[in-house]
Amino acid sequence: MNLLTKKEPQAPAQTAPRRTLIPRYSVEETADAFTVTALLPGVNSPDVETNLDRETLTVFARRTWTPPEGWTAVYRETPQADYRLVLELDRRVDREAVRAELKQGVLTLTLPKAESLKPRRIEIKG
Amino acid sequence: MRIIRYQNTPFYTPSLNYPGLRDEMDRLFDVAFPALSSLQRSGLFGDLEGEFPVDLYQDKDAFTVRAELPGFRKEDIGVEVADGVLTITGHQKTETKSDKKDIEAGATTQERRVSRALSLPENLRVDKIHAAYENGVLTVTLPKSEEVKPKQIAIEVK
Repeated sequence: MNLLTKKEPQAPAQTAPRRTLIPRYSVEETADAFTVTALLPGVNSPDVETNLDRETLTVFARRTWTPPEGWTAVYRETPQADYRLVLELDRRVDREAVRAELKQGVLTLTLPKAESLKPRRIEIKG
Repeated sequence: MRIIRYQNTPFYTPSLNYPGLRDEMDRLFDVAFPALSSLQRSGLFGDLEGEFPVDLYQDKDAFTVRAELPGFRKEDIGVEVADGVLTITGHQKTETKSDKKDIEAGATTQERRVSRALSLPENLRVDKIHAAYENGVLTVTLPKSEEVKPKQIAIEVK
């Protein structure tokens, strides 16, 4: 093991941290998987980071759009903030099989349940 | 340009790293503002039933409206200009895939309708208005007409 390449903690953001906002989201559970749906309008897929650590699922999504030069905001309702969602991770989730898809501002995370941890019926012989 | 303010602006939330703490805060909000929390919890698109947030920008050539409408298909969004009013509508029917393994088998249909109307200034080139939809954000460009300068009207003095 090479200790020099030990993973550095997440580099701090170069710019002052922007406000973050919990996106609107839902969690659904079926027999096979959990599905997390989060609304991230204005986010491009390269700007979404999904991380799984031992106990949490973290989604960080950056809004990179800025008004072009010469534009002045006449009226604003959308928040100038990035999105951050932290969810407690169910231990049944098969980490290797997690999938993410971003489509028109809607992020869908599919977190399948590990086969070995699904409830199973044990037949009694004899 | 007159816009009726969107009512359900989401909360600004500092990054909360502890789901437990957030649950606790949600609970406190539920206790303190029951009406608000029921509004917030009425499904994923709960607060998008009806309205959605818009921003309005202007530069020397045009006004630009940006509207957050996540999860629509392009063909489900309507942009209309009539009598000096810009109307943005979204109408979508989502069929949840039926999963035979599920206990509640069978497809369910969810319908989502949103609409927002903005009154427009008079000096626009209505025929040149165009719209684009990307990443769940609708952008409507409203070019200004050339003769925006106030016309000088000579008054004859007798």
